[in-house]
Amino acid sequence: MSGMAEAENAAPALGDVLVCHAEIVFEQKGRYVQALAPISLRLEPGSFTSLIGPSGCGKSTLLNAIAGFTPLTSGSIRVDGSEVAGPSPCVGVMFQQYALFPWFTARGNIEFALKRFDMSSAQRRDAALKALVEVGLEGKGDYYPGQLSGGMRQRVALARTLAARPNVLLMDEPFGALDAQTRLSMQELLLGIWETRRTTVLFITHDIDEALVLSDRIFVMSTAPGRIVDEIAVNSPRPRSVENIDDAYIANRSRMLRLLRSAHNAH
Amino acid sequence: MTGLVNPDFVPAPTVIMAAASEQYKEGVLMSDLRISLKRSAVGFFLGAMLGVLFGLLTARLRPVGYMLHPILNVLRPIPAIALAPLAIVWFGIGEPSKYFLITYTVFLAVWLNTDHGASHVATTYIRASRSLGAATWREFFEVVVPAAAPHIVSGLRLGAALAFLSLVAAELTGASSGIGYRIQESRQFLRTDRMFVGLVQLGLLGGLIDFCFLQISRRVVHWEQA
Repeated sequence: MSGMAEAENAAPALGDVLVCHAEIVFEQKGRYVQALAPISLRLEPGSFTSLIGPSGCGKSTLLNAIAGFTPLTSGSIRVDGSEVAGPSPCVGVMFQQYALFPWFTARGNIEFALKRFDMSSAQRRDAALKALVEVGLEGKGDYYPGQLSGGMRQRVALARTLAARPNVLLMDEPFGALDAQTRLSMQELLLGIWETRRTTVLFITHDIDEALVLSDRIFVMSTAPGRIVDEIAVNSPRPRSVENIDDAYIANRSRMLRLLRSAHNAH
Repeated sequence: MTGLVNPDFVPAPTVIMAAASEQYKEGVLMSDLRISLKRSAVGFFLGAMLGVLFGLLTARLRPVGYMLHPILNVLRPIPAIALAPLAIVWFGIGEPSKYFLITYTVFLAVWLNTDHGASHVATTYIRASRSLGAATWREFFEVVVPAAAPHIVSGLRLGAALAFLSLVAAELTGASSGIGYRIQESRQFLRTDRMFVGLVQLGLLGGLIDFCFLQISRRVVHWEQA
């Protein structure tokens, strides 16, 4: 908590996301499909928010809109005061999988993100190697993504996304394809990095425990059309770890289970 | 086994070997090989360069694609052999008409593959590139081109094979040298042994070039096998 206060004193905190009545309607075979009902929410600078809900509830649609990949039908999304009009390096995205460039090495992928800065190639190389150390992949710089395990690839993907120094980090089920063990170690890695950097995070997941361990706040969404049905504040103290479970955790967990079950039955 | 096939139609391997050594002594074996290789190589490189260039343009620049796709789709079904008479009228019976026919064939194959590869780049790559702040030219050279590379390489491999097919088409009409010409010339003397020498040359050469291509492409697009 003290880290957050210091950041606020130093400079106006970046990574403020304001979603106002954002609505997305697709035309599909002559019919209009509402992918996202008008949604309003704010991601405060330095906060960690999760979006949870059944498949097809519009979680990814909302994330893609904030990333600037999908235009809104109506409403607005502002990041640090400026309207989102397309992808921008201020808003970093980490995808579920297959987003690393297989033709670049792990280091090459990170350097790709660093090329937007004015750096010599030696500086870029050093920064990329440092980024690899930060995600626990020292010495793996010359490996191609195809030579790395799923978990290692997502570590590289995280390092690459952070290397572009985004103010907001959008994560679309980044650990969804990983096995349980790898997933836990990735969650701890992410928590560790986030607690030092305090980048605003929006994290999409299917996994209730993942949401509860990581987040300050959880939005529960339901389908057809996608909308937010509940908002849960998680007040467990930080730094957190995957093993720490308190009463509030259990209460929140059963509340979310009920919500998701009713959202699922309604669908 | 004798008498099963007419040796005038299908000569024995030893007879073909003898014909090859006869041609070697005459000097035409190597000179035909050289001239045919040169024609294929020139046509291949011109066609490959134009094919990659046009393929990237038609795939990534929408107005160019709209303009050129219909034209190229009409050209595609026209085989080189049908163009041979026209090529002679346009370029004469010298080398340029051969280059033209081979270039044309290779160009279409490489263009088609490049266009397909460059227009089907995974959305995730493009999104990742843009949200990492890559400028358009960097997205093009560091994302689109490598993402299309496996298709470009298989287009080039197909193009190399087609270069030989159109080489023969070009040499069968209005040529006075080359492997294709030698086959045609041997027909007039009913020398099936010499015709087979030409066929074997084409087969070995084509096979060898394809093998080299495969080895090179495994290294260039190494991540495809990973």
